Amino acid sequence: MSPDVFLFWFLAILTVISGLMVVLMTNPVFSALSLAMTMVLIGALFVTLNATFLAGVQLIVYAGAVMVLFVMVLMLFDLKNEIYAFTRGKISGAFKVGSVGILAGLVIGSIGLTASTLLQSSTAPLVSMSGDTTKDLGKILFSQYLLGFEALGALLLIVAVGAVALARSKGGTHAK
Amino acid sequence: MGNDIFEITVNCVKLIIVFLLMVQAVPVLVWLERRGSAFIQNRFGPNRVGPLGLLQLLADAVKFLFKEEFIPEHGIRFLYYGAPVMALVPATLAFAAIPLGYPLQWDSYIFRIQGFEVNVGIVYVLGASSLAVYSILMAGFGSGNKYSLMGALRATAQVVSYELALGLAIVGAILLYGTFNLTEMVAAQQGSLQFAFMGHAVNLSWLPNWGIFYQPLGAVIFFAATFAESNRLPFDLAEGEAELVAGFHTEYGGFKMLLFFIGEYGHMMVGSALMIVFYLGGYGIPGVTIPELQQWAAGVTSSANAASALVSLITFVSFTVKLAVFMWIFIQVRWTLPRFRYDQLMELGWKTMLPWALGNTILTAIVLYIAKA
Amino acid sequence: MRARKVAHMPSNFILEVGLPHYLVLSSLLFVTGMAGVLLRRNAIVMMMSIELMLNAVNLSFVAFSRYLGLLEGQVMVFFVMTIAAAEAAVGLALVVAIFKRFKEVNIRFFEHLKG
Repeated sequence: MSPDVFLFWFLAILTVISGLMVVLMTNPVFSALSLAMTMVLIGALFVTLNATFLAGVQLIVYAGAVMVLFVMVLMLFDLKNEIYAFTRGKISGAFKVGSVGILAGLVIGSIGLTASTLLQSSTAPLVSMSGDTTKDLGKILFSQYLLGFEALGALLLIVAVGAVALARSKGGTHAK
Repeated sequence: MGNDIFEITVNCVKLIIVFLLMVQAVPVLVWLERRGSAFIQNRFGPNRVGPLGLLQLLADAVKFLFKEEFIPEHGIRFLYYGAPVMALVPATLAFAAIPLGYPLQWDSYIFRIQGFEVNVGIVYVLGASSLAVYSILMAGFGSGNKYSLMGALRATAQVVSYELALGLAIVGAILLYGTFNLTEMVAAQQGSLQFAFMGHAVNLSWLPNWGIFYQPLGAVIFFAATFAESNRLPFDLAEGEAELVAGFHTEYGGFKMLLFFIGEYGHMMVGSALMIVFYLGGYGIPGVTIPELQQWAAGVTSSANAASALVSLITFVSFTVKLAVFMWIFIQVRWTLPRFRYDQLMELGWKTMLPWALGNTILTAIVLYIAKA
Repeated sequence: MRARKVAHMPSNFILEVGLPHYLVLSSLLFVTGMAGVLLRRNAIVMMMSIELMLNAVNLSFVAFSRYLGLLEGQVMVFFVMTIAAAEAAVGLALVVAIFKRFKEVNIRFFEHLKG
């Protein structure tokens, strides 16, 4: 087993376990922490796919900012273990689990059936994917996808104003 | 395959060594901080154990180890014990990516004096150090104490806010050097100050080619934001003892407290090291270029390998000296300036440092565009 | 489910990592997130599950980008990340507003539009 393969399986198993913990933990703070863990691990998986810059951005944006927001809000609310963490109806719950299971089976089954036609390794790349892709990524982002980039900037501005307007209230967090 | 195994082993050993370097520097720094603060405040400080009180920290460590294990009644066990460990991880990971010396060439094998080489070094270091927030949050929530929680929330808000100014201040340096790679950045700052502006070549032989002369505003903002990032005075609102007892580590004692301490010093070291790499020429020595140094080393030693080792050692010492100067500035500032109020802190971060850093970025981009046209 | 799939795949499934591996991993994470959205009743945990789904999609984007040799996948990941951050900000602001009103973030307690 070469180091690359070992690394992939190690990260994949850890990612699946921490992803399951997000859903199964009854204490929301633990859910949030395991989601942060999942995001760090997905960043590590990005590195195995030669997307080093994206891995760094994943760490900064997801693990360093988005999840910190979640954890902060959870701690402000001071939620402990929940009694009603999961859905109540047994039959509807069974249906939900079943449908999710069927979806998983269908997706993984189709991947498995088409595995022979899927690419096993990189073929005829337009850009060299073996080395670092940061420079090419910057070039393509600021030329071909510039409009989308600018639109995202506008979106972020609107969202920032909207979030402040929503969360704002006259009496602060302790208003009665 | 065999080569892979060799590389992996070397890198693991290097990671352990970098970690030990960081941890071993902490006792010296704590001693320096206590003695230094004593001299600033016209006291003696610890001077009984060993020469100049240097062994005080050894005695302290023994005391820490033998303290009673304690967990608060309403604490969450996993978070309470996990937080001090998490405090060490981000600083160590970030410090390992920083080039500490000129690469050593042994025959055909190039041995880098840094934990590991990352091509997107800056992004990686920022990402790794942004994980430090989790340790604070875990400690605050796991202790089951309202002062801890308030301190943790304050610290987190502060760190997240100042990360923006920190990141934007670096963008100017990234534009200037045109790379994310820390080693290339250091290489770009060797020699004397010279640049081409609109076709005119400017050469000032009496100044080193350091980033601080191109990015003075960026350097100031970055350095100030580093203080906030490592929760040091004048930005240590997280542990304002008049209001919050001791902030997020109120409930910690003994060795767990010591781990938080090491984490804090680790952050200071990462901040100082980044400052040196971005703005102060990294491991370079002002007035001496690397080829000159190599020539001198080849004259002194007999073999090429030994000469290369000597060059690496000298550059490493140069880096360490710069780091020590910055650590002293951290300590001096801590014992000189008073603490900010929390609203002043947030105002400084969002209304002063962020716009100035943004302006610096835009100005740098425009000037670079004109200079290269 | 997984064991049955191994039979369909080449026998060196474990020893040779390729695009299908990343896709299977990504779909497992996606399905986990979906189960979280369907089964959990805490509004914040449901939002976190959505984040997990977005992350799973990002992973498959990057995997496709790597194996097709096209950078468009990575550009998409950028866009998804930005939108996820925006979504989290607005969603959390909403949750804070709801918490102030009901002192509760479990959707069980505000599903009847009672006001």
